[in-house]
Amino acid sequence: MQMARKYNLEILVVAAIIVFGILFLYTSLIMKNAEFAGTDDIAAAKISGSPNASLQTIKPLIPQWVPPSTEIESILFGLQAAIGGMIIGGAFGYWIGQKKKV
Amino acid sequence: MHIMEGYLSPQWCIVWWIIALPCILFGIYRLKQITNADREALPLLGVTGGFIFFLSSLKLPTPFGSSSHPTGTGLSAICFGPWITSIVCAIVLLFQALFLAHGGLSTLGANTVSMGIIGPFVGYTIYRLLKNTSISIYTTVFIVTAFADVSTYIVTSFQLALGAVQPATGDIVSSFIWYLGIFAFAQIPIAIVEGIVLALVFKYIVQLKPDILIRLHIFSEETINTAKRDADGS
Repeated sequence: MQMARKYNLEILVVAAIIVFGILFLYTSLIMKNAEFAGTDDIAAAKISGSPNASLQTIKPLIPQWVPPSTEIESILFGLQAAIGGMIIGGAFGYWIGQKKKV
Repeated sequence: MHIMEGYLSPQWCIVWWIIALPCILFGIYRLKQITNADREALPLLGVTGGFIFFLSSLKLPTPFGSSSHPTGTGLSAICFGPWITSIVCAIVLLFQALFLAHGGLSTLGANTVSMGIIGPFVGYTIYRLLKNTSISIYTTVFIVTAFADVSTYIVTSFQLALGAVQPATGDIVSSFIWYLGIFAFAQIPIAIVEGIVLALVFKYIVQLKPDILIRLHIFSEETINTAKRDADGS
């Protein structure tokens, strides 16, 4: 009982991920045409009047570099996650090191 | 919540930049004050900022057949307030605008206002309201995080309804409701998961570095000690 109380947040996180996964699978099953497009892209498509936001029917005010493919975009998103992960890991590692010294 | 380059009219881009810039500058001033007073605040800033970097890079599916990003700003709003959070968000959004074409440079001010200022401000206000109540700090972190996330998308809906170069529907109110349907409702399940994850992260901070939370007056010593006993299961 005490053990379960100690790890109740961890259990909640695992449960939330499982429920989220089931919801995703259920949505995929009932919505056969679901593309899981980004909400940003859905809004952009509505504004531009084009079903494909990447067609850039709206002229940018400031020229912008666009990743040439979705693979490169994924790598750059991964890089962003890695930067965040390294900072988090560094800070937690520093605290764990400090705690061990005491 | 990224408003793409060119999708807001120039007048509204300027308005949101005028709102965002003083907040970022005040955030830099507050950050200097805090780090000069206590250098040990830097790793905590790293953790809270790192989670904004990390979580906002994740694209998660929603039960509505779309996908969206968590914001990760709730933890930073609790620990450092909305002004300092606005700096981290501006950096993340600049990275995404320059390298991912997610959000634009002209719309960076608008995106910073929604994700870095108003979302965290809503979260910070809830944190201040719940801080001295009997509600557990993990529940507080969960509520703050979830509301900071959803309110970010409500603000984006408002920004687009007010200033998109072409209206989504006939008038501002119906456009706002249309955007809300796309952004805010899809965000609710993601905000709930984000809230639970960041509550767990806060538990680890309480276990590893409770003194910094007390020194920065984020929570009282008594509240932190109670939370630590809960976390240790004792």
